[in-house]
Amino acid sequence: MGITGSKLEKALGDQFPEGERYFGLENFGNTCYCNSVLQALYFCVPFRDQVLEYGSHNKSVGENDENLLTCLAELFVQINYQKKKTGVIAPKRFVQRVKKQNELFRSYMHQDAHEFLNYLLNDLVDILEKEAKTSANGGTSQNSGIHQEKGANAVSNGYGNGGQTQPIVTWVHKLFQGTLTNETRCLCCETITARDETFLDLSLDIEQNSSITSCLRNFSSTETLNAEDKFFCDKCCSLQEAQKRMKIKVAPQILALHLKRFKYIEQLARYKKLSYRVVFPLELKLCNTADDAPGSEAEYSLFAVVVHVGTGPNHGHYVSLVKSHNHWLFFDDENVEIIDESAVQTFFGSTQEYSNSEHGYILFYERLDQVV
Amino acid sequence: MCAMATSSSQSPAVKPNFKTPEGRYKLSYEKTHSPGLHYGHAKAVTQLTVAYLKERHLTTPSVSSSSLSASSSVKMVTQRFLGSANGVKNFAFGGGNTTNKLSGGYNKLTAANLGSGVSNGPAVPSYDGEGTYMIFNVGDTLFISDYNSHDKDPIKAIIFSNGYPICHAFDSESKDGHDLLVGMSSGDVYSVSLRQQLQDPGKKLVAAMHYNKDGTINNSRCTALAWVPQGDGLFVAAHSDGNLYVYDKSKEGSGDASFPPVKEPTQFLVVHARSSKSNPLARWHICQGSINGLAFSADGMFLATVGRDGYLRIFEFKTEQLICGGKSYFGALLCCAWSMDSKYILTGGEDDLVQVWSMEDRTVVAWAEGHNSWVSGVAFDSFWKPPSEGNADGSAYRFGSVGQDTQLLLWDLSMDEIVVPLRRLNPSGSSPRGSNGSGHSNHWDNIQNRSGVLQPPPMRREIPKLSPIVAHRVHVEPLSGLTFTKDAILTVCHEGHVKVWARPDTQEKGADGAKENNSLPTKTGNSQTKR
Repeated sequence: MGITGSKLEKALGDQFPEGERYFGLENFGNTCYCNSVLQALYFCVPFRDQVLEYGSHNKSVGENDENLLTCLAELFVQINYQKKKTGVIAPKRFVQRVKKQNELFRSYMHQDAHEFLNYLLNDLVDILEKEAKTSANGGTSQNSGIHQEKGANAVSNGYGNGGQTQPIVTWVHKLFQGTLTNETRCLCCETITARDETFLDLSLDIEQNSSITSCLRNFSSTETLNAEDKFFCDKCCSLQEAQKRMKIKVAPQILALHLKRFKYIEQLARYKKLSYRVVFPLELKLCNTADDAPGSEAEYSLFAVVVHVGTGPNHGHYVSLVKSHNHWLFFDDENVEIIDESAVQTFFGSTQEYSNSEHGYILFYERLDQVV
Repeated sequence: MCAMATSSSQSPAVKPNFKTPEGRYKLSYEKTHSPGLHYGHAKAVTQLTVAYLKERHLTTPSVSSSSLSASSSVKMVTQRFLGSANGVKNFAFGGGNTTNKLSGGYNKLTAANLGSGVSNGPAVPSYDGEGTYMIFNVGDTLFISDYNSHDKDPIKAIIFSNGYPICHAFDSESKDGHDLLVGMSSGDVYSVSLRQQLQDPGKKLVAAMHYNKDGTINNSRCTALAWVPQGDGLFVAAHSDGNLYVYDKSKEGSGDASFPPVKEPTQFLVVHARSSKSNPLARWHICQGSINGLAFSADGMFLATVGRDGYLRIFEFKTEQLICGGKSYFGALLCCAWSMDSKYILTGGEDDLVQVWSMEDRTVVAWAEGHNSWVSGVAFDSFWKPPSEGNADGSAYRFGSVGQDTQLLLWDLSMDEIVVPLRRLNPSGSSPRGSNGSGHSNHWDNIQNRSGVLQPPPMRREIPKLSPIVAHRVHVEPLSGLTFTKDAILTVCHEGHVKVWARPDTQEKGADGAKENNSLPTKTGNSQTKR
């Protein structure tokens, strides 16, 4: 382990970024799903900054006040304040907390990294919302790391109405949340019914030899509702044929794209891994935004990839690729290596089954222009 | 739109023909390397070069002026072989540590070639005359196939031991022996005579000039090569670190060929070699990150490059000036090609788009939308004739594109439909965005502010869109390139399979139709048409 560290330090030489730490994470038996996601999130700098800030305000929490966020903050603080620049850390408390809280992750079975990411983000949202409510209801702390969308307004409203507030916008929302608009056009009266929903990540169906752009386009392609599946139009007051499509209305700051590589095959009555080659560029623009969407021409930059290694859904391994200060790093549990940018393309997937087994699974893009 | 729907479900069979307005294209034959060999193909994507080898002067002494000049040059080549037999250094390839062993072998090969150069060669005399050849790299091997034969197997394999061949280029107008360039993953570059390779029975490159030996000048991968049209043996080699070198094939690669380190990776800068003996003659630092593709306009006046940073750049080659350029919608650009009249440039890239660039308007005039993945090859069809004779000014074009979605797409570009409305919108003829301030001059020689020359990415809504006239899945693997010939469209995939799609009007003639073909490939931009 020490050797790994020095090797990485040697490889980076005087280009080792000031104040940055590259630490591998120990595996406690099939916890690579957790490690790979943690590395991706640690190198999501705005996310890391928020977690560290939270950690600095909640230094010593008792056993009873412990939650997933305090454990995450403790881990990030631990990495961030290491004396050495490289090495290995055991995320013991965090993993124990995950297992304690959710029986899904309790076994030593292979777990799904996307499910874990989803669980983690939603749990963080819950924690932050709860804390926001407590502080709004006369709690003392201003230090919970909550940023209200419309500042004091929302808080005071909430206060006055006894907790009955507009949705609280936590920093997790601010980073990951985007809005989809689901437009249904009645083919009889041409009325468009739009319904908005928020998302923290997008799950995309994939096809062989396609690109992320193409997957996003398919995600937003027009679907016709007819026959058994007609649409009840409020204006016509009857079931009508309609066209439906889903577009991105508000593009998120951090765009997490989940490739649906694990597909349920009915004939086999089980899940199968799709090893399809899906190319993802280092820079991306969303082609499926609504016409009037703010920032519809915003450019994203890839900063992390969670990679699934293996041929099946129930076994295998997770590693992650991370971009930090213009270097690409490869994190495989304890091991950290520097890789060339051009090596990212070896994780696109395979054109033939079983030819290689390392496939990009969750992609993390960061928006280049800051949302004001 | 409907064409796109056929795209990419899991490996359906590839249909051996597709329909266009002018008729049906049919899969005529395929070329591939010997099966059973396992290549590290991930390291090198297959590229295809079509070589039109002209008739030799000796057999028919009374033809064109270009063959006459070729005749005088044979002497030169012979001399050089003799000379280099003494100075083996330039010719030994395969890495410095094995020089002794190789140079011995080399001498033998040289002798064999001297013999074969005069009398008709020993190994394969039929390859001595004119012919059309397909040159493609797979793994560590460069294959040569006879375009006029339907035989699947290549006629020649050249194996490299010092890395993977990545790119190649052929000069049909070559005035002396060396007409084929090969660029390596190690950065090394070779020039050879294609005819000599065909005559030699061995599996090694013979009688080669070796440039940037062992990557001494630049050890990053050589990504693209091109002969300068009408350039008297000048050629350029682009590398994955954003540098491009200008070489002269008639110069020995001696002298101090080192260049100062690049200080500002994002700035375009040309540095000439300190020594007049140096070969390369100059280094052009073009961009940060890899140069992925390049192409000369047919007249040799302009050089277009595309790269990792997403920019298309157009240089006036002689004056070494950046003339204009612009950014992709997003992501890297992977390939580019000129129209025969040097008026338009196509680019393809990671935004799944083909962009049509107008030299006159100095901006993107159209997006060709239809690929489901990155666009890896683009080319104008210089043999295509518009169906109606109405467009006297030749304002209609046919072009093709191939992508990692395994599809070939064909497009018709009619300028009155695209450019005219765009110009009406912007009477100044400058960029519709104009946000870059200084780029507003629409005269060639009137560019003062170099930093304002490159245009920002276009806005999606402002660019006219083209739809393909046909989209056909032509291979099972992602594609890497396409070339139009007089009688066919050639497509090539990453894994080293080449397919020949016969044009509708040439199918009756069969294989013989290709034989009289001495036209030039569009891809290399060597068409005789002048601006």
